[in-house]
Amino acid sequence: MKYILMMTGTKADFDGYARWSKEDLQRNVEFMRRFSKELKDSGVFVATEGLGWPHEAKRVRAGKDGEPITDGIFPESKEFLAGYWIIDVESPEQAYKIAARASSAPGPGGKPGNMPIEVRQVLGSHADLEL
Amino acid sequence: MKYILLMSGTKAGVQSYLAWSQKDRDAHMAVLQTVAKELTASGEFIATQGLAVPHEAKVVRGEKDGMPITDGIFPESKEFLLGYWIVDVQSPERAYAIAGRLSAATGPGGLPTNMPIEVRQFATHPQPK
Repeated sequence: MKYILMMTGTKADFDGYARWSKEDLQRNVEFMRRFSKELKDSGVFVATEGLGWPHEAKRVRAGKDGEPITDGIFPESKEFLAGYWIIDVESPEQAYKIAARASSAPGPGGKPGNMPIEVRQVLGSHADLEL
Repeated sequence: MKYILLMSGTKAGVQSYLAWSQKDRDAHMAVLQTVAKELTASGEFIATQGLAVPHEAKVVRGEKDGMPITDGIFPESKEFLLGYWIVDVQSPERAYAIAGRLSAATGPGGLPTNMPIEVRQFATHPQPK
């Protein structure tokens, strides 16, 4: 079963992260590298990506003439995707355990960040929606 | 440049999608399949993925006694990721054009859904300080 583990945050959260000390950032990045390696070593790793900053995010809708209508206006409460992992595991419980590890990534001062990680199953195909 | 095109919606939005007629859903999927085929032909396609319905979503925060702390409580306004497309394109404008096509995919009655598509670049470029 494939699951996606998503890290999200508001613009304010991202601004807070951008102010972390170099040492705190380094510790966090080292944890993330080690975490990805563990996922690879245990054979559950499928993919991971980090996304660009939310201030670069655009919202696109189709215009009448087929031209994209683009804006960058989001509500303040909007949670932006910061990054994700996709894992292939035996059970949802295993996915939650791995998410808890990601959540324990060190934050400022080296304490566990306890960042919320959203865990969602990824569909094999549209048929899995069982409509 | 790699971009991710994110489709998201509230639980209410997902409920209304689940209530579409089979014909409307088939027409919608046909548009998406055409877009996937075109992007594959142009070499811009990297991946697309749909996610399971939001009522199965969990949020995990830390752990206690070695067990993950899990809940499924989200605000009603919460926008859940429904699916995404990853494309490798020459410019942001090209990513917006593809997002526009996805947004124009037909919905009930064959009208474009005009669903908003969030377009984000992957963090492979230098990040601002």
